[in-house]
Order: sequence, then C-alpha cells, then structure tokens
Amino acid sequence: MATMHFSIFRYNPERDEKPYMQDFHIDLVPTDRMLLDVILRIRDSQDDSLTIRKSCHEGVCGSDAININGRNGLACVTRVRELKEPVVLRPLPSFPVIRDMVVDMTSFWKQYHSIKPYLVNEEPAPEKERLQSPEDRDKLDGSYECIMCGCCTSQCPSSWWNPEKFVGPAGLIQAYRFISDSRDRATQERLDDLNSDPYRLFRCRTIMNCTEVCPVGLSPSRAIERIRLRMLDIEGHRGGLTLHRVPTIR
Amino acid sequence: MTAAFTGLRAWLVQRMSAVYMLFFIAYFLVHFAVDPPHSYPVWRTWMTSFSVSIATAAFFAALLAHAWVGLRDVILDYIHPMVFRVCLLVLLGFALTAVGAWIVRILWMSHG
Repeated sequence: MATMHFSIFRYNPERDEKPYMQDFHIDLVPTDRMLLDVILRIRDSQDDSLTIRKSCHEGVCGSDAININGRNGLACVTRVRELKEPVVLRPLPSFPVIRDMVVDMTSFWKQYHSIKPYLVNEEPAPEKERLQSPEDRDKLDGSYECIMCGCCTSQCPSSWWNPEKFVGPAGLIQAYRFISDSRDRATQERLDDLNSDPYRLFRCRTIMNCTEVCPVGLSPSRAIERIRLRMLDIEGHRGGLTLHRVPTIR
Repeated sequence: MTAAFTGLRAWLVQRMSAVYMLFFIAYFLVHFAVDPPHSYPVWRTWMTSFSVSIATAAFFAALLAHAWVGLRDVILDYIHPMVFRVCLLVLLGFALTAVGAWIVRILWMSHG
C-alpha cells in the first residue's frame, strides 16, 4: 500500500493571518483513482476543515478546478498515481481565495456575462425551433463544450494583469461560440464590442497557456485567432475548432 | 494613441510590420551572401539606389511602428496608474520620434 505525500494550500480568513502550506500523508487504497478521491479521503480522515469546491466528480461541472503541481486542472479527472510527489495543491492562481482551495470567481463570471452568452435574434420565433444545417452546427464544435472551469483564464498572464478589462480565454471562446452560430444575428455587434478598446480581446499574446491547460482539450487561443480573422472579414476556416489531447498532469 | 490605433488596427500593424521586416532582413542576408559588395563605394552606391533607399526607409518605419505597438502593449499591461502610464507613453513617443528623426537624417545625408 503506497503512501502519498501532499502539500496543500490552507487559508481560513476567520482564523489565519496569512496562507500556509500543510503537509498530509495518506495511504492509497485501490479505490483511489483520481486526485479528488484522495482529497476527500484526507478531509474525511485527517482534517474535516479542508475545503474544496466539487459537484459532479466526472469532469463535467468544472467545480473542482485547482492548481496541481503548478498546473491548473480538474481534481476529479487527474489520475492521482501519476502525480509527482510531494503533490502540491493550490487554489486557481489570480482569483481571490475564499478558503483553502475555494476561490472567488466573480470577475470571471462578470467577463463571461459581458460577451452576452446567449443567442441574439430579434426575428419572429418559428413555430418549433430555429434550425441550422449540419455544416453550420459543425462550426460550434470545439467551443460549445467549454465547462467554464476557469483553468484557462486563471493560467493566463494577460488575465492576471487586467482581470477587469480583458475578457479572458474562457469568455472569448464563448464569444466565438456565438459569433460562429448561424442563428445569431448580432455577429457584427459582438465583433465591434471586442474591438472597442485595446483590452477586451487584444491583451491576448497568443502564448497559449489556455490551450495547454484546458482539461476538455479545447483551444481558446485558436478561437481568439478566428475572432481576429472574422474582424478582418477573413473566413478561411470552415467547420469547428479541433480538440486536442488533454495533457497528463504529473 | 488615437482611437483608431487600438485593438485590431494596432495588432494588424504589428503583424504586417513584422512580416515586412522579416522579408527585408532575409533579402539583405541573401544579397550579402550571394553578391557581397567588395568595397565601400560599391556598398554605398547600392544602399543609396532608389529602390534600396525606399525599402530601407520602409524598414525603419516598420521598426518604429512595431516598437510603438509592442512597448505600448507592455505599458498597458503592467502600468496601471494613469498619470504614470501617460508619462511613459509620452516619453516613449518622444524617444521613438527622436530615433525616427535621427534615421531620416542619416538616410538623407547618405544621399548628400
């Protein structure tokens, strides 16, 4: 039975003056497959004040995004036995810490809402639904799958420096999802909004941290590139964005 | 910094100037590798020919535009107090203008 060493970020604003790292050692059992399994066992067996946000346990809700050995990812889909020890767990960088690994994502959601993440179509609604061709539907691939976990935005230096002004990779891939939707009628307004100042889209330096860490395999940097091309009236790409292999966190 | 030089236009200027500078440097390197001038007068005659003069002037214009957008981006990223930021942008504008004037003087005198 292998024992694993964890170093976990702790901060309780009601009790602690400043954050600190706390060491935990735990014997793995056969049912410990993912990192979240072990974090919950540490909480249940060693310190019930250890706090992490979680919900679905299967990489769909995006609640348990944390920084694992320096890299953002989802605890519930990270294989714990492949991690290098000591496993250093911290909250998502750049967001204010509420407690331990739980962060305040208010600025993240504010930017998401700013891109109007819904279809804008003033035309009279059809009797059943707004249809689109299979080809037009394909254009949404690679962007609609975003689970809004915040891994990309939290790992993006441009978002670190200007979180109030730069929409961030998660917001921008959502913006692209609606820009490329054939049923939306506000494409030009969306493009004009993102080009209204040098911050909302153009703080992106294409360093591609976002693509590198996306736990779903999406590429926000490609979405941003396509938004720029759309601003130039260049529609060189057909179809959706390509998903890439999700990197293994070690 | 005009409104028109924000966002997309600045990004485009930076990319296009980079592409031009890349071609210009490649052309220079190939020229000096294939047909290097063997004396100063030959080099000077080549440099002051009409087409090379125009291409060189355009290279430095691209360099200054590229530097302005790049350094402006760095200032927008990291310098948040507005007064400090404006001072740095003005300083940068003066510095690049001075460099530009110096380049114009050198290019102008080379034809004298």
